[in-house]
Amino acid sequence: MNALISTALAGVVMMFAGLFIRNKQHIKFVAIAALLIVSVANLAELSTIEGGSRTVLGMVTVSHFSILFNAIAFGATLIYFLLSGSAFEKVGEHVADYFALVFFILSGITLASSFSNLLMLFLAIEIISIPQYILAGSNKRTPKSSEASLKYFLMGSFSTGILLMGITLIYGAAGTFNIEELGLGNGDINPLALCGIILLAFALSFKVSAAPFHFWTPDVYDGSPTVFTSFMATVVKAGSFIAFIRIFHGAFTGTNISAHWQLLLSLVTAATLLIGNFTAVFQQSVKRMLAYSSIAQAGFMLFAVISMNKYATQGIILYAAAYSVATIGVFAVTMKLKDYTFDGFNGLARTQPVLAVTTAIFVCSLAGIPLTAGFFAKYFVLTAAVQQGNLLWLVVLAVLCAAISAYYYFRVIIAMYFKQGEPATKEEITGGFKVMLVITAAIVILLGVFPGLLLNLI
Amino acid sequence: MQHVWIVLGVLFVFLNIAAGLIWVERRLLALWQDRLGPNRAGPLGLFIVLADTLKLFFKEDWIPPFADKWVFILAPTVVVASVLMGLAIIPFAPGIVVADLNVGLMFFLAMSSLGVYSIVLGGWASNNKYSLLGALRGASQMIAYEVFMGLSLMGVVMLSRSFNLTEIVAAQEKIWYVFLQPVGFIIFFIAGLAETHRLPFDIPEAESELIAGFHAEYSGMKFGMFFIGEYLGISLISAMTVTLFFGGWLGPAFLPPVVWFFLKTFLFIGLFILLRASLPRPRYDQLMAYGWKLLLPLVLANLLITGAVALWLKS
Amino acid sequence: MGMSLQQIVFGVLSIISIISALGVILSKNPVTSVLCLIVTFFTIAGHYIMLNAQFLAVVHIIVYAGAIMVLFLFVIMLMNLNAEIEPQKRSWLKYAGAISGGALLLVLLAALREASVSSLQPGAVEIGLISNLGKTLFSTYVLPFEVSSILFLSAMVGAVVIGKKEGHES
Repeated sequence: MNALISTALAGVVMMFAGLFIRNKQHIKFVAIAALLIVSVANLAELSTIEGGSRTVLGMVTVSHFSILFNAIAFGATLIYFLLSGSAFEKVGEHVADYFALVFFILSGITLASSFSNLLMLFLAIEIISIPQYILAGSNKRTPKSSEASLKYFLMGSFSTGILLMGITLIYGAAGTFNIEELGLGNGDINPLALCGIILLAFALSFKVSAAPFHFWTPDVYDGSPTVFTSFMATVVKAGSFIAFIRIFHGAFTGTNISAHWQLLLSLVTAATLLIGNFTAVFQQSVKRMLAYSSIAQAGFMLFAVISMNKYATQGIILYAAAYSVATIGVFAVTMKLKDYTFDGFNGLARTQPVLAVTTAIFVCSLAGIPLTAGFFAKYFVLTAAVQQGNLLWLVVLAVLCAAISAYYYFRVIIAMYFKQGEPATKEEITGGFKVMLVITAAIVILLGVFPGLLLNLI
Repeated sequence: MQHVWIVLGVLFVFLNIAAGLIWVERRLLALWQDRLGPNRAGPLGLFIVLADTLKLFFKEDWIPPFADKWVFILAPTVVVASVLMGLAIIPFAPGIVVADLNVGLMFFLAMSSLGVYSIVLGGWASNNKYSLLGALRGASQMIAYEVFMGLSLMGVVMLSRSFNLTEIVAAQEKIWYVFLQPVGFIIFFIAGLAETHRLPFDIPEAESELIAGFHAEYSGMKFGMFFIGEYLGISLISAMTVTLFFGGWLGPAFLPPVVWFFLKTFLFIGLFILLRASLPRPRYDQLMAYGWKLLLPLVLANLLITGAVALWLKS
Repeated sequence: MGMSLQQIVFGVLSIISIISALGVILSKNPVTSVLCLIVTFFTIAGHYIMLNAQFLAVVHIIVYAGAIMVLFLFVIMLMNLNAEIEPQKRSWLKYAGAISGGALLLVLLAALREASVSSLQPGAVEIGLISNLGKTLFSTYVLPFEVSSILFLSAMVGAVVIGKKEGHES
């Protein structure tokens, strides 16, 4: 609850900061300070929880897990602010409002990690979505940004409609919104509940851009201002996944009913892995490649949804952290370059060695190379699936897809190290930016060597 | 059976008031502007009502060839229908009410919010740029002032603890709400002016800029419907003001309740006409700024203070 | 086969709402679509009244019919949309949409054919009355009620960000 209240308040504070602070740089510092306070408030709640979890008014259940996930989301956002915060100023004039919207998204994510009621699920998804529609369209100088916003808004609201329909059907079957009291799937399956679950799965698959509900992703990620794409593809996606996992692991676990949606979602997973990876191979722009790679990575995170055991929970925590941090890093570097295509990276190792090394580390982590965080993240979600027993075919497919993904991730490294070129940067690369990149890369490697640092906290 | 009589009676009385207002408005305007006004036909010029209605009825019922025919016909009916529906919930005296709903106040707001369609649809269907401009102005004006109207009434609801108009009137036995909710009353009346788009807020029509705005293309009885709708709207807002803030039918016993109700109502109808005679029309942006920047904070503050005082008195 | 008055009213309301909902998507003229949608909202308000939820019915009319649909009309009028301007969609897209939508409808219908709805608890019919609704909203559901303010606040900030003109300073 602390996290929810403090993020909402931080959003309001940012709105007023825009009114009183003229210097845009200072607005960024206010945002960073607010985020630090939010993080402290979030962690302070750990001591107040007795017996694992605390339920507020039957709507929100705060647990160690939710606080840890919030902490990861806040940490990734902090890195994002430090690396890319200054890019906010270039999007448009309402810098403080952009920060406010980011804080509102974060408050939606804290709800997504702790809801225990279908109403709160709906609110969480909406609070996450609506600011995104606006951030996508915030660059008013290019029609591409408006197009992205409109596309995202229309499709997003349609999927929210499907989500609501699903919630309605489940309520009709169970007579309650509380996910602990739903009691579905033990005994006879109520067809209403099954329909509701299917619709819920569709809507949430849209929100996490799983195939075949992914068509909006490349256009929206490509059209939005890069600095917001970076946030949407990472922290927000992880937040939507937490909602996905909470509802499916928390409420639809009855043995009769879980078989149904597990089959459905494993097909979705397979499609996501294949489509995401194969289309990413053919992209020429790094930004678009990252959009497709985010679809592919969503496929891996879906493993945590379909396998219901403790590896899955650990896996999603690790995956959220590893994927978010690495992708934020790659985006931060991409934003500094003039040319977003692979050719734009040619010869970066010679002119900007620090940027090249850190980018290589981030990309390796995304590909899942050992000694980086991405390796253990993939390891845990796949182990979860293996433990599940009947999903071996999917695991084999995932390993093959990971091999394919190495191709397009390594193209970045090849461009940087083995090709000649004069990569043009948009602006001077400051020392502070380099230090932040190195720290971020260090986090990726640290989590890759000692994943227990995060996992022991659950 | 008694119910049918009430319905017919309300219809009869209010349609006649609306027609009679043709004469009342012209005579009063003339009085305040130092003129004579209509004084030829019949005693005191009263037959102008007959002459005007006959003229409207016998004019050619013309639909411009470039207009969207069905929407063009639909628009004027909406305003009359919605206002007449709104009249259904007003208690004229104990027991004399068409529909004693427990959400009566909300029903009134719902019906007054529908009135905007007549302007929007009429302006659009006319296929005329002045009409369209009038329609756009009307839509934003009425949607904006609907918000203040609803909020200004919530203070009354807090005090009377009911949305039922009969109960609200009964709750004013000791003291009229105009004394407890002066800000609410003033804002409600201003919003009422804007909702009925009467001068000084007749921006959707604004003869001097938009010819006649949204009804520029209308003639004959379709124009007459807009005309009647406007007068009915005035009567409705006046009757609601009396019901909510001036004790409805309550009054000293030497006159029957219904008479008290209509006496008070006519007072406010007169006020509507006085405002038309005395105030200039603001610009469109001034009207919007006035609403959102002055009335909205004021009405919210009024709501907050009313709530706080009500809680404080209760504890 | 005697039908109670309630069933007749329900049937008539449902038929009108389905017809007008079809009118929304089948009509070529956007203004007609909007008018059909308004009719649909009225019939849904009628359903609310049949469920004894008068407050919800009235609010439904105020918010949807009275405000949102007016804004729809507003936008349509400003953009001067009409049947001629409507872009020609590729026909295979139409067929694909119809087939996949129909398939979903078929699956849902087949599944829901055997559904049984748990009956209401006694006392539930009173919940739609305004005072009961208020009490529930501010006790059981106070948290979602308050949290939705974050949603509205972010939408408001968004409206300002999107709508405000970018000035010329630096």
